[in-house]
Amino acid sequence: MAYITDYQYYENGGTDPKNKNWGSYQYISLADIVTNFLLMYSGNHSLVNNDERYKILFHAKRGIQELNYDALKEIKVLELSVCQTLRYVLPPDYVNWVRMSLYKDGVLRPMSENIQTNWSDAYLQDNECNILFDINGNIARPEFSDIDYDRITNQKKSIYLNSNNPQFDGMEGYNVDGGWWFDYQIGARYGLNTETANANPTFSMNKKAGVINFSSDMNGELCILEYVSDGMEAGVNSEISLNKMFEEYIYAYIQYSILDAKFGVQEYVVNRARKKKAALLRNAKIRMSSIDPGKLLMNLRGQDKWIK
Amino acid sequence: MINSVRNTVLAILNKNNYGYISPQDFNLYAKQAQLDLFDEYFSDYNNAINDENRRTSGTEYANMSKQIIEVIDYFSVTRNLPHNTGNQFYLPSTQQGASSTGDDFYLLNKVLCYDTSTTPRTFTGEAEAVTHSKITLLNNSLLTAPDNTYPAYVLEGAFLNVFPITFNALTAVEAQYIRYPLAPKWTFTNVTGGEPIFDSSQADYQDFELSVDDEYILVNKILQMAGMEIRETSVVQYATAQETINNAE
Repeated sequence: MAYITDYQYYENGGTDPKNKNWGSYQYISLADIVTNFLLMYSGNHSLVNNDERYKILFHAKRGIQELNYDALKEIKVLELSVCQTLRYVLPPDYVNWVRMSLYKDGVLRPMSENIQTNWSDAYLQDNECNILFDINGNIARPEFSDIDYDRITNQKKSIYLNSNNPQFDGMEGYNVDGGWWFDYQIGARYGLNTETANANPTFSMNKKAGVINFSSDMNGELCILEYVSDGMEAGVNSEISLNKMFEEYIYAYIQYSILDAKFGVQEYVVNRARKKKAALLRNAKIRMSSIDPGKLLMNLRGQDKWIK
Repeated sequence: MINSVRNTVLAILNKNNYGYISPQDFNLYAKQAQLDLFDEYFSDYNNAINDENRRTSGTEYANMSKQIIEVIDYFSVTRNLPHNTGNQFYLPSTQQGASSTGDDFYLLNKVLCYDTSTTPRTFTGEAEAVTHSKITLLNNSLLTAPDNTYPAYVLEGAFLNVFPITFNALTAVEAQYIRYPLAPKWTFTNVTGGEPIFDSSQADYQDFELSVDDEYILVNKILQMAGMEIRETSVVQYATAQETINNAE
């Protein structure tokens, strides 16, 4: 892609959307990656020779996908309201989640993934537990399983320290603005399970169904999902790009992938390509980690702090 | 060059009163010889590349591949491909009537695709040649399906089918190809003293299109065929020996 003028950068040449080119200089487009590779790393005098362009395109995209899963740190963030269904449909470009937070009272509260399931499929059964079928021979299913119904109707107990935890059942307390408050318990509390010691709502992923199921205390709350995608931009090739820190790596990745899959390439050539790829990935990751003296200094200032 | 070639051929044939070939026969042999030599350019180019990879080839004036490229590029043509229907375009050919491009192609080197909804049309990408066994898989592939930036094409008979099928307008596809050399024709006007007199002003006159340094190879190739015609084995042997020496160099 050609270099653009400052006016094009800031104002997109006066056309909408004005912010289209902001930050674009950090990235190299997929088209440039493929073109550069074909020009510089492929041909009569190169290791990669007589390979179809679609193979180079495939490996370029696969490389970008792999980088998006971890090394790139291209985190996408989406805020959605959770309604009575206590469900959050995953975004269309979702691949894996990084962090889930409840946004309440101006504060982001990190949520825990429930170590137990809070959803289930269910089959309809008769009194003798025989599974029921419809006229087409398919298994008949209820709208909700019992566990789902209990969760949605706020009857499911929680092993976490949130609102449906049964440990305060039967105790006297104070109801203030809809929330229950209790006095300090007398004596030490041994045996607290730290894994579940969190008062925020919990969630459980249903990957196949493409939804996140929440505990009942998320009803009407705002959820912020931080997730990673694969960088394929819904299949629009012209919008796929890669951070320039990984440019040399992606060429090495394509070269290695092609040589590795090719018949008759000497093992030392494949190994050389593999090592080059691995070294360039390490370099790029170090660059992306943004370790600088200023940040380290700020972190180390806390080393002598007294912990009471 | 064609008159020089013919004079040389006749001189050798007549050396020991071996025989004579008519202008019509000469033109037939000239066409065959030119095609034969033209075809060899491509294998010569491949050999030159192999020499380079073996590091037995030089640069500058010793750059053999560059010289061959220059010769081949003389036959390069870039032209819009006539549209047939849908995503189907005619291949360059002299046989398609109104859809003729005026020349037959030896090798399709580049197929360029354009978005014709803008004025002037916008280049979107170079189409890649794929086989019929791959195009279905490619069209079904999530990552590598042909699109505007990375189109693909397959050849089918006298046609070229471009994918994605949105390339379906008149000037949507342009090709750069290597055409066949035009058939040489030694023309004459009248016969004086039993000998036709060369006349290059005839409408159907066509000289050889190969470079001048290939003249002696053309002479040898025509001699081989002419020797067969007059059933003179020594002519064939002479020409074959000359070609062998030339190839050995």
